[in-house]
Amino acid sequence: MNKYDIYWAKFLKNKRNKYSLFIFGFIFILSLFAEVLSNDKPIIMSIDSKLYFPIIMTYSDKHFNGHFDTEADYKDNFMTQKLEMKSNWAIFPLNPHSYDSINLNKSTPNPAPPSQYNYLGTDDRGRDVLARLLYGFRLSVLFAFALTAIGILIGLFFGALQGYYAGKVDLYLQRFIEVWGSMPELYLLIIFSSLFEPSVLLLIILLSLFGWMGLSDYVRAEFLKGRNMEYVIAARTLGLSDTKIILKHILPNSMVSVITFLPFRISGAILVLTSLDFLGLGVPPDTPSLGELLAQGKENIEAWWLSISTFLVLTGTLLSLIFIGEGIRESLDSRSE
Amino acid sequence: MKILEIKNLSLKSKKSNVLLLNNINLTLNKGETLGIVGESGSGKTLTGLSVTGLLDSGIFEVISGEVIYSNQNLLACPEEYLRSIRTKKISMIFQEPMLSLNPVQTIKKQLDEVIKLHVTKIKKDIDSLSKEIIIKTGLEDVDKILSSYPHMLSGGQRQRVMIAIALVCKPDILIADEPTTALDVTLQLQILDLLNNFKIENSMSMILVSHDLDLIKNYSDHIIILNNGVIVEDGLTKDVFEKPKHEYTKKLILSKPNKIITKNPGDKKILETKNLSCRFPLNNPFFIKNKKYFTALSNVNIHVNIGETVGIVGESGSGKTTLAMAIMQLLNYDGNIIFDNQNLSMLSNKDVRKYRNNFQIVFQDPFSSLSPRLNILEILSEGLVAFNKDIKYNELLDICASLLSEVGLSNDMLLRYPHQFSGGQRQRIAIARALSMKPKLIIFDEPTSALDVIVQKNILELIVSLQEKYSLSYCFISHDLKVIKSISHRIYVIKDSEIVETNSTENILNYPKSDYTKNLIKSSFLS
Repeated sequence: MNKYDIYWAKFLKNKRNKYSLFIFGFIFILSLFAEVLSNDKPIIMSIDSKLYFPIIMTYSDKHFNGHFDTEADYKDNFMTQKLEMKSNWAIFPLNPHSYDSINLNKSTPNPAPPSQYNYLGTDDRGRDVLARLLYGFRLSVLFAFALTAIGILIGLFFGALQGYYAGKVDLYLQRFIEVWGSMPELYLLIIFSSLFEPSVLLLIILLSLFGWMGLSDYVRAEFLKGRNMEYVIAARTLGLSDTKIILKHILPNSMVSVITFLPFRISGAILVLTSLDFLGLGVPPDTPSLGELLAQGKENIEAWWLSISTFLVLTGTLLSLIFIGEGIRESLDSRSE
Repeated sequence: MKILEIKNLSLKSKKSNVLLLNNINLTLNKGETLGIVGESGSGKTLTGLSVTGLLDSGIFEVISGEVIYSNQNLLACPEEYLRSIRTKKISMIFQEPMLSLNPVQTIKKQLDEVIKLHVTKIKKDIDSLSKEIIIKTGLEDVDKILSSYPHMLSGGQRQRVMIAIALVCKPDILIADEPTTALDVTLQLQILDLLNNFKIENSMSMILVSHDLDLIKNYSDHIIILNNGVIVEDGLTKDVFEKPKHEYTKKLILSKPNKIITKNPGDKKILETKNLSCRFPLNNPFFIKNKKYFTALSNVNIHVNIGETVGIVGESGSGKTTLAMAIMQLLNYDGNIIFDNQNLSMLSNKDVRKYRNNFQIVFQDPFSSLSPRLNILEILSEGLVAFNKDIKYNELLDICASLLSEVGLSNDMLLRYPHQFSGGQRQRIAIARALSMKPKLIIFDEPTSALDVIVQKNILELIVSLQEKYSLSYCFISHDLKVIKSISHRIYVIKDSEIVETNSTENILNYPKSDYTKNLIKSSFLS
């Protein structure tokens, strides 16, 4: 049994870890296939004994003898009538709405409560809440993963540099971090969102510029401690190079702090995105986002299906992430039995 | 007159159900010193703690037994009663004075707290009493000491303050748990004499817990020897040392290191330092160029011959470890270090790396000298890979297995992690790591200080046998003259960053020249 098997077995031993990971993993993997699960286009359809795959391919209206060059609208009367004709058929996804599809044939005013047509109701523009939650969850998690990964790489790099070389390097970098860290992040976001067209990529870049500092402090402290450990000195006497010492001796022993940080950073990143969206500073308006749903829930306080469903998704995600992180930390700790 | 009695005390750990103390019986008479000796983990400290009721009931469980003090079973007493007798009647001193004093309160505040609680609440009396007790502990400049914070005092002063706090209420019983282990040898004697005087003056009884046989032999009337929570021997100190009955006691007494080197060294120099000096800048403001320095080594000239063990002895802070680090080329120094006809001080860092396999170091603390996240194979093979990148895995496996057998460990341990080993085994692994480079010189920086006496002896024997097998040269650094004596051909005495005396081992011990060396010999109970 190699050591990773041992870590894995240790992780699974705790039921809370196991269920958190399985639930989160299951939903995350489901959300990766959101296009197939929740879409206003059929997965596959047959018109005039010809097969079409609208999810993968884009067909214009003219394909189906319509008048427009734009993509066909499969919820439009023109298309529905076509599909109702004999020998024509279509398989729609489980939830036949995409995050931005608006149902124009509905009689209830928006936001509409849950119905057999919209399982979790609609938001104030008539878009399906379930679809927006699914897409929004995926975006949040992917965004958080990217932001965390970038933040950890930068944070580790600077922290390791400062901690290992200490002295002048540490002094100058620390002053730089102090100056950098005192820049008002929120104002920058506001300024940049008016200068550039808001996009997810812009957000990741902007937040990464500031997101690494908390972690680099921890890594620096661990490295400052580690560089004087006797096993590090022993490694130097064995003639190992600095890079090797950092990667093999100090880094693995300071990973605990990084890993401890990991779940909190991921959940923190999800929260940041959510709150920025809530304030209207985040992703562009059309993008599905949990924060925007929460803001709608606040504005339409009587539309309970908006706030409660978003709240449950958000807390569930954050909670399971934290449980998973705690589990990882415990199982990686070689000292605990 | 009996003052304290422990009857059939058994204690187990709640979590692992291991029996920690098994049927302990002991009696302490008035005015007597009882010595408790044993290795680490033998239950010495637990025995002491059980008397004052300081055992954590969440971890330990008393299975049976009584601790009787003034006709009461302390184990059955309520916490309030125990609190009223702690320090007032039964007092304790711990090993590490820095940890036992509160760093954010002045000495006076901590001392007054005890007096207020147990003796008197009148301000004037408190002041006079606190001064009186500090004077009694032999500290000068009383007002300054009282207004200091713990970090402003030296280790010896702190331990005296701890003694003052423990003894200010004139307790009946003092439990001293390794009171001098963290102190330099020359201080050890002073502290123990101080305790002894207090004892005689106030006809106090004392329980002296230690791993140091010589210390116990000199200061206790009665002695018990603990091994794995069982009393293996019990009797008058003189009887036990002269006629030990139990096997373990015999082993313990024999483990006192005697001279174990046999071969004589060659006369070719392998290492020589010329006017080696080393200084560190002291809290210099950023914008002002270096102003103040702390001198860690000044004009040190030593040499080591091939196959020779050179002992370097000195107190903590004397510069021993700095010397080791300088020889290992791990810090900047002035002067020259000539190793095997090569002047190392002329080389750049990169070039020095090529020579590193020739000189290796073994550290004091085997718990921090092995990386906790690497297994033994990785630890041992690291240096080999650094010097030979093309080495094959099978080859590495063979070399590492033979290294382990060289230091007396079996090669099925290769894939284990450091925390699965005992202190002695880890020290063997550290030695194996040093050997992996086939060095000509090994520096040992207090390699046995963290180990129990029996393990200590085994490690020393291993070190000597390796020297004889490979004609290695050693630099053996220690504060413990007893260890140095047993293993060195020649001794350097270092004090305040300078070499004060050097001579062959016999000459230093029999005809010490400087007062410092004389004092050191006396404190080590060698005279």
